[in-house]
Amino acid sequence: VTYKWLSYTLGVHVNQAKQMLYDYVERKRKENSGAQLHVTYLVAGNLLQNGHVCHKVAVVREDKLEAMKSKLSTIASVHVYSVQKALLKDSSPLYNTDYDIVKTNLQQCSKFSAIRCAAAVRRTPAEARPAPSPQSQRDPAAAGTLNGHGPPAAKAPPQQHKSIMGMFAAKAAAKAQDTPKEAKAEAKEAPGVSAASSKPPTKNNIMNNFFGKAAMNKLKANSVPEQPKEEKEVVKPSVAVAEPESSPSTVAEKPGKKAESARIQQKDKKSKTKRADRSDDEEERDPENVKKKRKRIKQLQSDSSDDEDVPPSPTLEEERAPSPPPAPAPKAELEPASTEVSAGGRKRKRKRVLKSKMFIDEEEGCMGKAG
Amino acid sequence: MFSEQAAPMAQGLLAPPSAEPPTFPRVPVSGYSDCSQPFQLGERGFSRQYAHIYAVRLAGMRPGLERRARSCWGDGIALRKLSELQAGEKCCVVGTLFKSMQLQPSILQEISEEHNLVPQPPLPKYIQPSDELMLEDELQRIKLEGAIDVQRLVTGTILAVYGCEQDDGRFLVEDHCFADLPPPLPWNGPSSDRFVLLASGLGLGSVSGEALLSTQLLVDVVTGQLGAEGEQSCAAHITRVILAGNLLSQNTQSRDTVNKAKYLTKKTQAASVEAVKMLDEILLQLCTSVPVDVMPGEFDPTNYTLPQQPLHRCMLPLASAYATLHLVTNPYQASLDGVRFLGTSGQNISDIFKYSSMDDYLEILEWTLLAGHISPTAPDTLGCYPFYKSDPFILTECPHVYFCGNAPHFQSKLLQGKEGQRVLLVTVPDFSATQTACLVNLRDLTCQPITFSGFGVDSED
Repeated sequence: VTYKWLSYTLGVHVNQAKQMLYDYVERKRKENSGAQLHVTYLVAGNLLQNGHVCHKVAVVREDKLEAMKSKLSTIASVHVYSVQKALLKDSSPLYNTDYDIVKTNLQQCSKFSAIRCAAAVRRTPAEARPAPSPQSQRDPAAAGTLNGHGPPAAKAPPQQHKSIMGMFAAKAAAKAQDTPKEAKAEAKEAPGVSAASSKPPTKNNIMNNFFGKAAMNKLKANSVPEQPKEEKEVVKPSVAVAEPESSPSTVAEKPGKKAESARIQQKDKKSKTKRADRSDDEEERDPENVKKKRKRIKQLQSDSSDDEDVPPSPTLEEERAPSPPPAPAPKAELEPASTEVSAGGRKRKRKRVLKSKMFIDEEEGCMGKAG
Repeated sequence: MFSEQAAPMAQGLLAPPSAEPPTFPRVPVSGYSDCSQPFQLGERGFSRQYAHIYAVRLAGMRPGLERRARSCWGDGIALRKLSELQAGEKCCVVGTLFKSMQLQPSILQEISEEHNLVPQPPLPKYIQPSDELMLEDELQRIKLEGAIDVQRLVTGTILAVYGCEQDDGRFLVEDHCFADLPPPLPWNGPSSDRFVLLASGLGLGSVSGEALLSTQLLVDVVTGQLGAEGEQSCAAHITRVILAGNLLSQNTQSRDTVNKAKYLTKKTQAASVEAVKMLDEILLQLCTSVPVDVMPGEFDPTNYTLPQQPLHRCMLPLASAYATLHLVTNPYQASLDGVRFLGTSGQNISDIFKYSSMDDYLEILEWTLLAGHISPTAPDTLGCYPFYKSDPFILTECPHVYFCGNAPHFQSKLLQGKEGQRVLLVTVPDFSATQTACLVNLRDLTCQPITFSGFGVDSED
């Protein structure tokens, strides 16, 4: 049992976990219950080595603790690293425990840490997705994502085209979309709409290009009318903060949420349980995709008609399902649509493959990321 | 620096659980600007010859060298081109150095069938006493001898030599000089302690897993999970982490699949796939807490020639969802909080190490700074893109922190220049071998190594 494992399992701050371990060890030792406990400590401090002062951080067994402490000229910190029943021969079981627990909680790895970083916000999928190659397919895909994320996309600065990855782009797009969805713990509550989102670095712009300039202008014009609509709908769920469904909606509003997540930690639990509902919603929405998909194929050639086509579909969705927030609805449905569209002609087969992939990913998201 | 601030609360966590423990906000990023645009290649065409890069390099560095020569040897000296040389006249010539080495691996020898030679195995150093130096300018070349250290210099350096031509056609050198430190940049450093963590050579994907716990400890310290409260608050002052190359280990480079038959290798994956997944997870943990700059290195999946382009974000799907991940080129130049960083993943320094008698990585690092060029051996023995408009490796401004990754051990030095330049030279050690990373304090340009260790079966500590 390492402090990190305890912290994730109990959902407590890492420092508290360390103190808990220490407390447990002390109590057990006082009781003299006969069960031998082996403790490892973490020691950190300054050490004079090779003529210069070097900061050393080491995990040591209890018997070597004093020796290590005496070697260090100044001790910066000492705390319990782990407690186990058997004597450890080397540190690999510690590493393995930590590795496993972190893997199962990858998206929340900074939740219990002592440092919060306000800048670590997730990128909006509109910026995150690289462009598929063919121009005509790019536009409907672009339209899809932009309209699904009206506010953030409108703010996204024009991005130039860098690499043409085609298939990879589509797959990566699907994946990039999935991981934000599964990130529930980033409690993006309070969709005080992404007002102040730190902007993506220039590197981001160069690498993540999405569309050509021409398409970009059209889509921007389009996304602007979409934006007030989105905002209004998003504000609605924000009123019912306790409503767990707000978590899916906030998934769509990525920027700026991480800062708020620091304050709103407890709601994570609720959002986790409600994940099942969300995936159900998406499943029921997918049959509608089938219908939408057909329309889109026909209008593949004309950019403008595509753009017009897409805004009505989110609104249709919104009318149909008033309570689940509309933001994920167009997003979720346009995602499979856009990924299919980006694939090109062989729509049906591709879509099926991608769709099933979406399901699997969604299910994994429900049960917790398996890795 | 780390420890002094942390010491008072060192034992704080050896106590029963207290009330809500404090969380420290990470020091916010202020003033980051990526200055490595010259190293980013847009359209790449390899149809050009490499002679252009030498020509632009000479043209770019000539004015600076002429000024230096005048300041070294007086204003009245004659600056001549090789074609204008007269026998016996003392003059100064500016040109590119070429060292002809017998042991230098040559592609022509390798493919020569007449000789039936086995390709030369890689040696640690290729220098020999019989090496010769030649100076070339735009039109001619001339052999150099005299007060010049043949063993120490490498091909591709631009320098100015002062001497006279002898009757047998060789140039007798009396003195030589390099471009020296470039003009200094103004100092806008932060007033409070800000740290930048430099690490390189994570070496993921290697067969042995010893360094894995140390890597995990590194991530834990930076993200604030490890350490008592004092240490965690110090870790909150780490504003950036720069990973300088070789994130994957050399073991992932196996190319056996190319030689084996297809049916044998159908189900096998390249070793780098697993390693990249591991890298992605580690980066994700780091990115949720601190901005990270990832530079590619020798064994990383990007192009071989310098300047190496950034790793593509599709390889790191989990981590690249965060805006704090920056995938940058090698060499990398950026301005953090008013402090200019410049560094490479170490390929240039290790290449010079192979072809020169200089043994110390820090010495070589300092020498490249004085020679005014990041990688003089670039097209000759180190792969390079055929530039023709300008050579981006010429140092035009003096950085505040100049580092190189994947060095055998940690070294650092503060160099003071004549025009008031202050440069912190850091050789970042290979983490998979030494489990050491470097913490640079931006306020006073000092550097401290930080070592991590676990315990093994027979380790003493």
